[in-house]
Amino acid sequence: MSKTILAVDDSGSLRQMLSFSLKAAGYGVVEAVDGQDGLDKARKQTVDLVLTDQNMPGMDGLSLIKALRGMKNYQNVPILMLTTEAGDDMKAMGRAAGANGWLVKPFDPARLTEVVKKLIG
Amino acid sequence: MLPQESPSGELPMNTQVMRLLSGVSVHGDQHLAEVERDLVQMDVLLDEAIKKLCTNFMAIHHAVDRQQEALNGLLAGSMPASEYAARFEALRGEIGQHVGAAVTGLQFQDMTSQLIGRMVQHLAGLRDVFGALDTNGAALPESGNEALLALLGDIGKRVGVRSSGVRSTVNQRHMESGDIELF
Repeated sequence: MSKTILAVDDSGSLRQMLSFSLKAAGYGVVEAVDGQDGLDKARKQTVDLVLTDQNMPGMDGLSLIKALRGMKNYQNVPILMLTTEAGDDMKAMGRAAGANGWLVKPFDPARLTEVVKKLIG
Repeated sequence: MLPQESPSGELPMNTQVMRLLSGVSVHGDQHLAEVERDLVQMDVLLDEAIKKLCTNFMAIHHAVDRQQEALNGLLAGSMPASEYAARFEALRGEIGQHVGAAVTGLQFQDMTSQLIGRMVQHLAGLRDVFGALDTNGAALPESGNEALLALLGDIGKRVGVRSSGVRSTVNQRHMESGDIELF
């Protein structure tokens, strides 16, 4: 059975690119339009990996990570930030919130799937 | 020479007016400088993205042409099928690489959209600065220096309030894939 990835980003085109790249590599993808939508979808279905943007209307990526880490079934699920933010202070905040990695946009599909494969196979 | 204070401890009106105008100028200039910076950044990203997309679109087109030639050769039986299998595999890999690069280039929409969002916030900040002047200007007291000074002080404070909530800018200068760091 293919592994499922939750892709959270307020940009429709970015979600489309993520979905295209991850599906081509054999993963199932659930899309969410912001942090709150991501949290709702994560509650309905436990996914194998979460990939989230930081700056989104309403709930941002860091808040989503904190909320997910507070849920029993998401304590060990890999969470990656995919954002335009590249500052060390933001990375430190992401790490403290519970992120497992930081990817700076734009992403390259081959490098992204390589990282995902490393984390969930 | 230091400006003389009124008996109530307030600065004279001409000093207050000068400070107010200076505040308007500084804050307006800050907002416009950010908008200018974001426009330049957007131009750089769009230019890079279009070049990248054009290059990869043409490369995909040529690879598909070569794929068709190979298919025609296979149908005509001009070479052993095993040689065509290797050629098709190489072309598949080549097309995959160009599609991947195009996917990276297509992300310009997300990045420029963030820059546009920032510019809108800065323009709203600029509108607030002028709005503070306009609203208060209509209610200037006709007489009484103290009331006028108090009003100028209030406008100055409102102009001095920096617009908050403007998201951080997009610093990427190229449409190449960004850094990856695993914790």
